[in-house]
Amino acid sequence: MRGTDNYLKRWLRDTLGIFNTELRNILHDGGVMIIFIAAGFFYPILYNFVYKNGILEDTPIAVVDNADCSDSRRMIREMDATREIDIAFKCVSMEEARELFDQRKVNGIIYFPSDFGDAIARSQTATFSIYADMSSFLYYKNLLMGAEFVMLHEINDIKMERYSLENPVVYEDINPYNRAFSYSIFLISAILMLIIQQVMFYGMSMSVGTMREENRSFASLPDSYTGHGVGRVVIGRGAVYWLIFMIIGIYVTCIVPALFRFPQRGNYWEILILLSLFVTVCVFFCMSWSTLVTRRESAFLLFLFMSPVCLFLTGFSWPVTAFPAFWKYFSYLFPSTFGCQAFINMNTAGAELGIIAPQLRALCVQGIVYFVLACVAVYVENFALKHKIDILSV
Amino acid sequence: MEFWKNISSVVKRELRIWARRPIYFLGTVAVMAFCTVFYLSFLRDGVPSDVPIAVVDMDGSSTSRNFCRQLDATQLGKVVHYDDFTSAREAMQGGKVTSVCVIPEGFNCDLQSRRQPQISFYVNGLYFLGGSLAWKDLLTMVNLCSGAVQREVMRMQGVPDSQMYGLLRPVDVDVHQIGNATMNYGAYLANMMIPGMLQMVIIIVLVYSLGAELKYGTSRHLLDVAGGDVFTAVTGKLALYTLLFTLISWTEVIILYKWMHFPLAGSLGTMLLAGFLLVLASESVAVLIIGCVPVCRFALSIGALYSVLGLSLTGFTLPVEAMPAGLRGLTYMYPLRHYYEIYVNVDVTGHVLALLLFCFLPFLVMRRLEHAYRYLDYARN
Repeated sequence: MRGTDNYLKRWLRDTLGIFNTELRNILHDGGVMIIFIAAGFFYPILYNFVYKNGILEDTPIAVVDNADCSDSRRMIREMDATREIDIAFKCVSMEEARELFDQRKVNGIIYFPSDFGDAIARSQTATFSIYADMSSFLYYKNLLMGAEFVMLHEINDIKMERYSLENPVVYEDINPYNRAFSYSIFLISAILMLIIQQVMFYGMSMSVGTMREENRSFASLPDSYTGHGVGRVVIGRGAVYWLIFMIIGIYVTCIVPALFRFPQRGNYWEILILLSLFVTVCVFFCMSWSTLVTRRESAFLLFLFMSPVCLFLTGFSWPVTAFPAFWKYFSYLFPSTFGCQAFINMNTAGAELGIIAPQLRALCVQGIVYFVLACVAVYVENFALKHKIDILSV
Repeated sequence: MEFWKNISSVVKRELRIWARRPIYFLGTVAVMAFCTVFYLSFLRDGVPSDVPIAVVDMDGSSTSRNFCRQLDATQLGKVVHYDDFTSAREAMQGGKVTSVCVIPEGFNCDLQSRRQPQISFYVNGLYFLGGSLAWKDLLTMVNLCSGAVQREVMRMQGVPDSQMYGLLRPVDVDVHQIGNATMNYGAYLANMMIPGMLQMVIIIVLVYSLGAELKYGTSRHLLDVAGGDVFTAVTGKLALYTLLFTLISWTEVIILYKWMHFPLAGSLGTMLLAGFLLVLASESVAVLIIGCVPVCRFALSIGALYSVLGLSLTGFTLPVEAMPAGLRGLTYMYPLRHYYEIYVNVDVTGHVLALLLFCFLPFLVMRRLEHAYRYLDYARN
């Protein structure tokens, strides 16, 4: 019994020792602290500032009204009144409108042909045309939505007026989580969790790289400790990052949305459960992958491009159901894939823990796999150090 | 003559560094190859199809089932049936479906007796593309449903089919998408994401390459090789990188516009020129960063911060005019922003000149860089 007692005590002492050493290392490393503080604390604010408005309103549009009838004039007035469209120019010809379009003074053209009014009078389909600038999809969306709303309204009015034919089916469309299709609510919700993962990865890689450059190893124990346990190293080091990133995480997921008046529909404690699981998985994920980093700066050179890739892999924009099979499986490598989805669903759509159970399960599996990988990495590193094998020399 | 000899010895020295450290190859060619494959294959469908739409059919009549079948048959939508609203709502909150469409009880009965039944649909706007496509699909189908019922009524009244369309659809809109006729989301994103990644790679790799001389204390050796002139040293280094990055940039342009046939408003020649200038301008920014902050890792952190933000500030997703006023001017600090303006074919000459202006940036910091290279006088930690 004494043996186990001793072992436990030593285990705890060693773990605590590693924890202290790692914490001291991080606090003394200006570069890492800059990443944690500048990126962790300012990036969320910066992104919120860029996407602060989130909604594109009053897209300037040129109109060419060859019909010049009361119907077309009314429609133009109504379009101008929509939130989406601003009739900035009334042109006499398509050439003039096109010139404005080419100079990007307008982002779209609405064209009423000369027979527009006659066609309505003859009970035929009167067609008008819209030409949308596709250089940003939001221009297109605004022009299309503005024109279609007015058109549907007009159709109903005409039918009602002529043969009091009302729509047999009415509809109500509700967009409960993002009422105005705001760009910021959709983007920021996805970005917040990703920031945690990426900042941790760059920070940890920097610290690992520095140790390697100084001919120390992240895997070996400080000299004053006698034990040689893989678990001690992984848990002792991990705990430091876990603590730091729980602080950053609470700031990112709870305080930042409140600062910028974002929807916070989730339960605080449930978000905290998600966050602690996510941060745990991220710690093991970063520990596993940062093993590949041999120099302080190489993480930026080799992995910076992964940030936007990870963002797309969360499925926040291109839907997960349309992912090509390979990229779908590839996305399972990253905690951010499930963490971001779960956070969007919880924080912004108000989902409860039960609803995001699939994502939580996936995070648990990732956590176990990456924990094992992190242990293997430490073991291999120790083995290599002992036998003086140079594994990585990038 | 002396100048060219020095340049060539700097180039040779740089080539030796590349051969010794695979990170330069991995960080440039391998990263760009991965990005190209990713953005082109990930978004290869152009427009997502079969977006899952939850339908709660509380009526279960032949009419409502017909509506579900029609909705399922559209290219955009795929119907997933749920028994009650709660489970459908939970599926939407969990991100499994993009929207919920509720057909009320007595739908068919109300329809036949002209009591205007109401179809409700709930859209999840948090998954932007999926949500807005599902919304568009549902809106179209509900309007078509109304039209179909009205057509039946008119047929019964004896209106000939030839007059029907004009009565049902008195006004119609003809939509032209200028610059991306097929609404290809892949073309839209890859067009800017790939040059955006190139800008990022150039800044990061070049800052590192110039900073590594300081970090490993090899800067004096570099100056010796360059005949003691910092201008020659930087030019020699840049010459090699310019060659490499221009090749990458032109390959990307040719892949995008020749091989993938993505829409292009200007000419291929303009894009090749823009690609070359993007390389030069990004390199200049990199020199400016390392010149202002001659500490390798700080410069890298700044470069990373700058270039990641550049993807947002280019304004191809959220247009610049929707950004806060204070930021709009800042967007012109990014070479990618000018590249984008050249791509959409606005004031090409102006933006080409703007990109050329970037090339003067390194001269501002040459003296500081020389000092740092020669006397290693910068903060070590």
